[in-house]
Amino acid sequence: MLAALDKYRHAFLVGLQSGLVYRWNFAVRSVFSFIHLAYAFILWGAAFAGQSAIGGFDLRQTLTYFITMLVLQFFISAFNEDYQISEDIRNGLINQFLLKPINYFLYRISVFAAARLVSGLLALIPFVLLLPFLWKYLSFPVDGWRYLLAVPALAMAALIQFTIAYCFGMLSFWFLEIQSFIILSFAIETMLGGQVFPLDLMPPLLYQISKYLPYYYQMYFPTAIITGRLDQATALSGLLLQAVWLVALLGLAELLWRRGLRRHTAVGG
Amino acid sequence: MSFLNYLRVWLACARYSTVRTMMFRFDFIMWSLVELFWMTVNILLVSVIYRHTREIAGWTQYQMLLLVGTSMIMQRLMMGLFWSNLFELGRNIRTGQFDFFLAQPGNPLFMVSTRKLDLDGLLNVLVAVSVVAYSAHQLGLHPGFGDIVTYILLILCGLIIEYGTLLLIVSLTFWIVGSQGIEGSYFTLFEFSRLPKEAFRGASNVIFVWLLPVVLVSNVPSKSIMHGVDARYVLWLLGVTLLWLLIGTTVFRRGLRRYASASS
Repeated sequence: MLAALDKYRHAFLVGLQSGLVYRWNFAVRSVFSFIHLAYAFILWGAAFAGQSAIGGFDLRQTLTYFITMLVLQFFISAFNEDYQISEDIRNGLINQFLLKPINYFLYRISVFAAARLVSGLLALIPFVLLLPFLWKYLSFPVDGWRYLLAVPALAMAALIQFTIAYCFGMLSFWFLEIQSFIILSFAIETMLGGQVFPLDLMPPLLYQISKYLPYYYQMYFPTAIITGRLDQATALSGLLLQAVWLVALLGLAELLWRRGLRRHTAVGG
Repeated sequence: MSFLNYLRVWLACARYSTVRTMMFRFDFIMWSLVELFWMTVNILLVSVIYRHTREIAGWTQYQMLLLVGTSMIMQRLMMGLFWSNLFELGRNIRTGQFDFFLAQPGNPLFMVSTRKLDLDGLLNVLVAVSVVAYSAHQLGLHPGFGDIVTYILLILCGLIIEYGTLLLIVSLTFWIVGSQGIEGSYFTLFEFSRLPKEAFRGASNVIFVWLLPVVLVSNVPSKSIMHGVDARYVLWLLGVTLLWLLIGTTVFRRGLRRYASASS
């Protein structure tokens, strides 16, 4: 059992190294994200002029939502995992996983965990540098339960993000070019994950519908727990739905893997 | 080569792109959907915020929508005409494939910028135009022929500014080879073109409105069609257009002199 885990520990360590190789890509990405944060500050700052609350939250709480989401994103989002998996399939790199006693999904998720650890810590650098400026906009609720529930919510959010990316990568078994699929899903995730605006500001019916979609649990749900946009009962029932989505997506990933391998022909050596 | 020859080269490229699109119809549909969805996201953002507020920096919902639509027209034109070409320019400089363009008997910048057309981007220009037309209708605007011509000319200025900026960004590859992903800063920067100028205060006003052209590109045409032409802003935009085109092409030329092909 321990020996089995050891394989993935090595995968994790390799992931850390390759994460560090791409440190400049992450640095560039975090600079873009903070410029995007300036956009959110200007837009919402202007929207709040002349009123103290939007959807029951003041300007500081709203900006805290965007700042929190931005930082969390570097810890839990799948960035280019779908491309990497797609490349593995197209280049025939997965062939070696078929021959060795290592599970491709677990291998990939170990690398993903390592990469997010690196990107998350790197994103903290600009955040800490900007903290003297951001400080006055931060306003977190004080309820202890929020931080307790945020832990499983964040863990499952990361797994959901990864599994969705994994499923998109699996499409390479059927399609030559999956870039358009990925960008389309990225657009859907960006909006329904709450990165464009807090989902609770949508009309109530749309907000209710979004709650039953997996995207809600990718970013919005953990962020909303931490920044006080959900009450305890909603957070608890949300965790249940999040778990259901996670299991469903894991099932889909396994199904696509099995079906995909049936179509797959290993060429060359 | 004379102007007529360039036009013929461009038409040949356009024909080639059309044929290619016909061959990969599924891709065309997917990419059109992607762009359509991104535009919907921006429109939804406007409608969600205006559920909770009546004005943003003095702009009403349909004024804001007109601004967003204007910004989208420019961005779709960029996507349709230049984005893939300039994106590939960066990649070609890194790999050395750029040699191929230098060997062609024509201005390298022209050859590089016009090789491909993305019909999905151009198709979505129509969607963006209808967003503007719908907003104008809701605002009760009745622009005359002159107003529309001015608006179109100002949009073209914006397109040139965006082209110059992206060319500048991509040309940096001549100096920094490991700059993959730097092209994305174009989207990050021009995101600000969906915001009204009046929302910018203090340092952000200096940086995004006056130093960088990213806010005025969309604000000047939008304001001119809503409130009539303000000569000061129009002149400023014309000046900025020339300036950014000059900066972009100068940096490209300097880079070209540095270019020594990749190891091949």
